[in-house]
Amino acid sequence: MRTAAATTSAPGARFIDPRVLARIANLELVARTVVEGFINGLHRSPYLGLSLDFAEHRAYMPGDDIRRIDWRLYARTDRFYVKQFEADTNANFSLLVDVSKSMAYGREGIPKLDYARFLAACLAYFSQKQRDRVGLATFDSDVVDYVPPAAGHFDIVMHTLDRTRPGGAGNLRRPLEKLAENYRRRGILVLVSDLYEEPVAVRDAVRRLRNRGNDLIVFHILDRAELEFPFQDAANFEDLESGTRIPVIPDHVRARYRELIANHVAELQRLLGEDRVDYTLIDTSTPLDQALFSYLATRERLTRVR
Amino acid sequence: MPALAFLAPAFLAGLAAVLIPVILHLRHRERSEAVAFPSLMFLQQIPYRTVKRQRIRHWPLLLVRCLILALLAAAFARPFFAGAGPGIVEDGARDLVILLDRSYSMGYAGRWARAQDAAKRALEGMGPDDRAALVFFSTGATAASGLTGDVAALRAAVDAAQPGAGGTRYGPPLELARRLLEASDRARREVVLITDFQRVGWDGQQDVRLPAGVPLTTVDVAEGDDVSNLSITGVSFDRQAVGGRERVTATARIAYKGAGSMRGVPVRLELNGIELQALSVDLEPNSARAVTFDPFTLPEGESRGTVSAGTDALPPDNRFHFVLSPGQAVSVLIVETDGAAAQRSLYLRRALGIGDRPPFRVEVMRRGALSPDAIAGRDVVVLNDAPFPAGAAGRALLDHVRRGGGLIITLGERSAPSSWEGDAAELLPGPFGAPVDGAARGVALASLDRSHPIFEVFRAPRSGDFTTARVYRYRPLQVGGADGVLARYDDGGVALAEKRVGRGRVLVWTSTLDNFWTDIALQPIYLPFVHQLVRHAAGYVEARPWFTAGQVLDLSGGDADAAAPQAGDEAGTHRAMAKAGQAAGEPAPLPALGGGELVVLSPGGARSTIGGDRPRVLELQEQGFYELRPAGRAAAAPYTVAVNLDLAESDLSRLDPQELAAAAMAADPGPAAPATAAAAGGVEEQERRQALWRYLLILALLALAAEIALANRVSRAAG
Repeated sequence: MRTAAATTSAPGARFIDPRVLARIANLELVARTVVEGFINGLHRSPYLGLSLDFAEHRAYMPGDDIRRIDWRLYARTDRFYVKQFEADTNANFSLLVDVSKSMAYGREGIPKLDYARFLAACLAYFSQKQRDRVGLATFDSDVVDYVPPAAGHFDIVMHTLDRTRPGGAGNLRRPLEKLAENYRRRGILVLVSDLYEEPVAVRDAVRRLRNRGNDLIVFHILDRAELEFPFQDAANFEDLESGTRIPVIPDHVRARYRELIANHVAELQRLLGEDRVDYTLIDTSTPLDQALFSYLATRERLTRVR
Repeated sequence: MPALAFLAPAFLAGLAAVLIPVILHLRHRERSEAVAFPSLMFLQQIPYRTVKRQRIRHWPLLLVRCLILALLAAAFARPFFAGAGPGIVEDGARDLVILLDRSYSMGYAGRWARAQDAAKRALEGMGPDDRAALVFFSTGATAASGLTGDVAALRAAVDAAQPGAGGTRYGPPLELARRLLEASDRARREVVLITDFQRVGWDGQQDVRLPAGVPLTTVDVAEGDDVSNLSITGVSFDRQAVGGRERVTATARIAYKGAGSMRGVPVRLELNGIELQALSVDLEPNSARAVTFDPFTLPEGESRGTVSAGTDALPPDNRFHFVLSPGQAVSVLIVETDGAAAQRSLYLRRALGIGDRPPFRVEVMRRGALSPDAIAGRDVVVLNDAPFPAGAAGRALLDHVRRGGGLIITLGERSAPSSWEGDAAELLPGPFGAPVDGAARGVALASLDRSHPIFEVFRAPRSGDFTTARVYRYRPLQVGGADGVLARYDDGGVALAEKRVGRGRVLVWTSTLDNFWTDIALQPIYLPFVHQLVRHAAGYVEARPWFTAGQVLDLSGGDADAAAPQAGDEAGTHRAMAKAGQAAGEPAPLPALGGGELVVLSPGGARSTIGGDRPRVLELQEQGFYELRPAGRAAAAPYTVAVNLDLAESDLSRLDPQELAAAAMAADPGPAAPATAAAAGGVEEQERRQALWRYLLILALLALAAEIALANRVSRAAG
């Protein structure tokens, strides 16, 4: 399991507390703030063009891949230039955001849904910058909003994310089955959810997407309280989605709960790994840069053109 | 080894409050509102058990909270280390002076028993090396013992003591305590004052300061008393002569101080042990009234009387004693010259024939008929314009004066200077000469010694104008020096002079006391002036029906000046020195007492002897009747003195103990401070000095601060 503590020491990262981002009303501004800052901290350009259609030369900037320097032009001009290609047909990049009611929970930091929206916005902005076709789907027990991936859908994606509100009870199987029908062209799918289902059910739900040839990245969003169960006072605990209440003495159940959630995460990681699904657990107090690192690492692995 | 004790152990029941945080910590706090949680899929897999709910959480917080409650309970219980008296926190032996009030107000219901208990408690607090002195006080102060470690003897003295008849004075005991402690070389010295704190005992004027560093602990035995008191403040007598006997009407003044009215209070008059009359009166709250009894005929000889009124918590002042004797007239012999006119002494006789305090028994006699027998038994002889009698009469007159009789000489036409030569000259203040005529309108009395008893009654404004009298002729009297001259004319001549001869008095009036040489007999001041002359010459002192406890009777006799009351003594008490019975107007028994030893029988039955080689003075210490007899004459009729209580003591108004303590303690009280111990003195004083409760409260505050910090930390951790 990858924890926030293990990843926040990533080199070159500039971390912004999600609670600070929550004060920025404009989602696109949030995304740009995070992504631009993130990119500026990297030593090499994260943009990886897949198209071979030459577009233009531009002056070499520190961080550019030196393999893209046009040596011939250097021989003539004694200056470094890199070649830029027309990236009109990059990958389809779709965000699948769980907006079930359990995602409204937030005790330690911002609500999980807000964190998911920020993360989705950042990823969408990042992908749009490298000219991927960006799409979005939100769901609870069914598909709530669906924006098909397209080059010009970035603004729609942002707008849709912006007005997203927590829905009803969550269920992965049904909406993902529907969405699998929509993603006929292979692309990159990013699932953002709290995954409150049995690991096998999660695996089965995402397998349909994976079987279509999509590359799947799963971000498991949890509040820190869901991981550590720090409650002290005995109380009735109410399920946000079902409304069920049970009496709980936190001191008595804490250890067992932590054990169960750890087992749950480990099982998800194992099952999804077996299906070559990239799984990342993130708690809402983790800076968004951590998620971007995880995504970037996955994209590097998925990219064939270097 | 001092043991830990508690002044208010009932507060230790508060330790039970320690159970409250224990129960709260055992009981898991359940929030009334539900806690929202994203999914219960994991919690539902955990079995719900209640048996573990009895486990105590947050041990440090629980212990701190229990500690706070325990400290508070202990502080309110006021702990102290008992076992070594008030000064347990100090080292070394101490000297303790216990001042125990035994004025008669301490006889008020329950006060004396409380005072004895307080004194014994103070003695119980003494350590093995401590010393104590016991001082009883009322109007004066007496040390029952010096500083001693004999606690048993002191305790016995406390047990044996009873309230006396004196009033309360705080100056003498404090002064005595100061002397005792100043003589002490110990560092720890203390004074315990056990009294009912009557305001009459302290007027703030006494300049008594205990030595620096000596604390004064006050024990108020009257605290909480519902004071109501009935007292007889005095009895007055109206005497009338009826058929040669005296009838006396007695009027008693009764004062009542209390909240509720009193109905049907019996007031009785007894005379010689026989109840003459009983009346019933109603008294309103805080009121006074006079009760007049029916007249009674005064028997011959002394009569002992008592007026009593009701009963209350302070009985002594409900009785009032007195002694009455038939009034004795002042015997005056007027001697005229042999050839005098028939009405020569008309004015003088008429003036002395008026008045009953005292009545004057006047006899006029010609000089030739004067004999020693005629002079014997006279109080005053008046030589009214007559020469000094010759022969045996003259010697008898001289002896009369020397033995204390009075002589008044008026100088007129027939006062032959030659007759006053020889032994007779001893009687005159100085030689006198031929008559001198004044101016056309005569001379006036210009200079009077108004401090002299004769003129004292004329001292006040409009109390007698002597300047209206004109003196047309007088005989100049040559007096050596100014001493003895009581009045002068406006031309400087002597008008009245006095000379003491032996135990008697001689008064010389240099003109006549009729209308021959002066018109003074026609002036309003004539009658009182003549009365004053005769009273003074006779040495008359009005008989006192009673004395007040604390007064001292001077029975030495002989010195006429001793009859004047004197106030004040070393201890600040008010003792009136009264010379009893030496006056001619007094009943006869005292002269019969003679000059030897006297046996005194006190009201309490104690017999003592005064006189002889001891001063012949009697201090009146008890209420009731004192009997005095010459030693060896047990069968003789006694001379009786009635003694009543100091009426000021009946005023039970209270003084703030702090006021007295602040006034009596030195400005720098040293390590100790004044204190009021309601009824105990000992343990409360120890607790007050140690003040352990303050430290416990400080600890409780510190623990409270720690509890706040701990609770905040736990609360943050709990979210």
